Amino acid sequence: MKEQDPIVFVIDDDRMIRDGLQSLIRSVGLRVETFASAQDFLGAKRPDAPACLVLDVRMPGLSGLDLQLKLRDDGIPIPVIFITGHGDIPMSVRAMKEGAHEFLTKPVRGQDLLDAVQKALASDRSLRRERREANEIRARFESLTPREKEVLELVVAGLLNKQIADQLGMSELTVKTHRAHVMEKTQAESLAHLVRMSERLKTATRKSGSTSS
Amino acid sequence: MGRKIDAPSGVRAVARYALALALVTLALSISLAFQNSIGNPFWFFFSAAVILSTWLGGTGPGLLAVIYSTLAVMYCFMPPLHSFAVTPRELPYFVTFVACEIGVTQLISWRRRTEDALRQARDELEVKVAERTIDLKNANEALLKQMDEQRRTEETLQATRAELARATRITTIGELTASIAHEVNQPLAAVVANADACVAWLARETPDLAEARTAAERATQGATRASEVIARIRSLITKATPEKSRVQINRVIEQTAALGERQAANNHVTIRLELSPDLPIVFGDSIQLQQVILNLVVNGIEAMTTVTDRPKMLVLRTEPESKCQIRVSVQDSGIGLTEEVKGRLFEPFFTTRAKGMGMGLSISRSIIEAHGGRLWAESNGSDGATFQFTVPSEDSPGI
Repeated sequence: MKEQDPIVFVIDDDRMIRDGLQSLIRSVGLRVETFASAQDFLGAKRPDAPACLVLDVRMPGLSGLDLQLKLRDDGIPIPVIFITGHGDIPMSVRAMKEGAHEFLTKPVRGQDLLDAVQKALASDRSLRRERREANEIRARFESLTPREKEVLELVVAGLLNKQIADQLGMSELTVKTHRAHVMEKTQAESLAHLVRMSERLKTATRKSGSTSS
Repeated sequence: MGRKIDAPSGVRAVARYALALALVTLALSISLAFQNSIGNPFWFFFSAAVILSTWLGGTGPGLLAVIYSTLAVMYCFMPPLHSFAVTPRELPYFVTFVACEIGVTQLISWRRRTEDALRQARDELEVKVAERTIDLKNANEALLKQMDEQRRTEETLQATRAELARATRITTIGELTASIAHEVNQPLAAVVANADACVAWLARETPDLAEARTAAERATQGATRASEVIARIRSLITKATPEKSRVQINRVIEQTAALGERQAANNHVTIRLELSPDLPIVFGDSIQLQQVILNLVVNGIEAMTTVTDRPKMLVLRTEPESKCQIRVSVQDSGIGLTEEVKGRLFEPFFTTRAKGMGMGLSISRSIIEAHGGRLWAESNGSDGATFQFTVPSEDSPGI
């Protein structure tokens, strides 16, 4: 599956800065979309591609920090690079605490911004891959029948076939059959692999809360 | 007086009664001795004995003396003699005697009681006066201490007030600096971003000259914008220290009104002058005062641009505010001030206009304050606002 080209969103209310940043980022061959306000960005359609946000903190209407919180609450995980005219410490601490990727002060040196953008895109790319893999595993796990899921739970918990048979009230042979189906459907190469996938699914579910692609 | 000071009260009582008996016995002896030479002598002597007994001994001994005297008179002088009977003929005389004796006793003992009460009251009064004197002295000291404390509190208050004024000034300067920093930093950020972009386009394997040029042009625009901001600020803040001379405020207003006349006419605004003819001379910087008035005039005209339902009138007024203060007011019939706007009017970079810098009123106020005056704004009820300032006259103290 070929991934789409990454995209950088620039949000700044000052047109001259917006155009400058756009030109700068475009010069290294990245796709850029610009917005004059946070509301415009929220209203726009976003392509399914690795992305990052270059965001001015101080804007009329919804501020950069407000937008960051809104994206987080809506379960839209885009890495954010903040740009601020007055790098006051409490604000940057707050932004970093909420998971900002980088916090740069105006005027921003071109190279600093490009480095931050590349790092943010790389991070988003790997996060997306992780999410995609987790989704694939989830799909496989969800193809199991309820009985197979019960068997899976106990296998992963480290029980022997005999113990599973006792606990679920079935013959050991039936357990073996279910177990073979589980290994096949989840494409597990070994018991260890099965356990790893199961753990990963659990952490992924815990981390995102909702399943976004 | 028959009281011995250190005798116990029982002994003293007995002594008083004994004295009464002794006095009446003495009166009886004298009366017996003189009964042949003076007619009915007992009257005087017994009366004297009763008076003395009552006076020296009190009511009890007095009454004892009356009883003893009565018996003695009945026995020794009233016919029939040597018996305690009284003949009916002598009865009125005898009754009068007894009644007089009793009356005298009552009178004297009442008198004594009054005197005692008076003496006691006097003694108490003396004690009270002494107490009051001490109280008064204490109160006086407390008062002095309080006055001292109050003086010190006032001094502290003064110092605090001065400190507050200084802090406010510093805060205003701080706000101003922060705002200017932002205003200048914004175009500078654009310059840096575009210059970096320009370099990046040129640094590509095949340099993209068209993109590089566009970026370079934007960098130039940004730099121009930055210098414009600085120029605007400089033109507003130059001559921060006033060059003071003797100024006739009415002359300044006439000149300023003439300057604003053209803009007023373009906006169909009538400027009316109501200048008080006898105003003291102001000691100030006429250029700066003109700047302030012109600022208020332009603001007033702009506030009336959207008005259509009433005459657009700008009134410039001067009047003596107090003995050593002049008040200048600029009254418009424009859109007026909301409470929110009114609260922020004099903040630097606050503006209600799309193209305004928000510096005019802030700087006007600092100019007027540098002159020792005050600048403020008021709503005119339903339509318009009045901006006014005071400036001290030449001969006011402190100028």
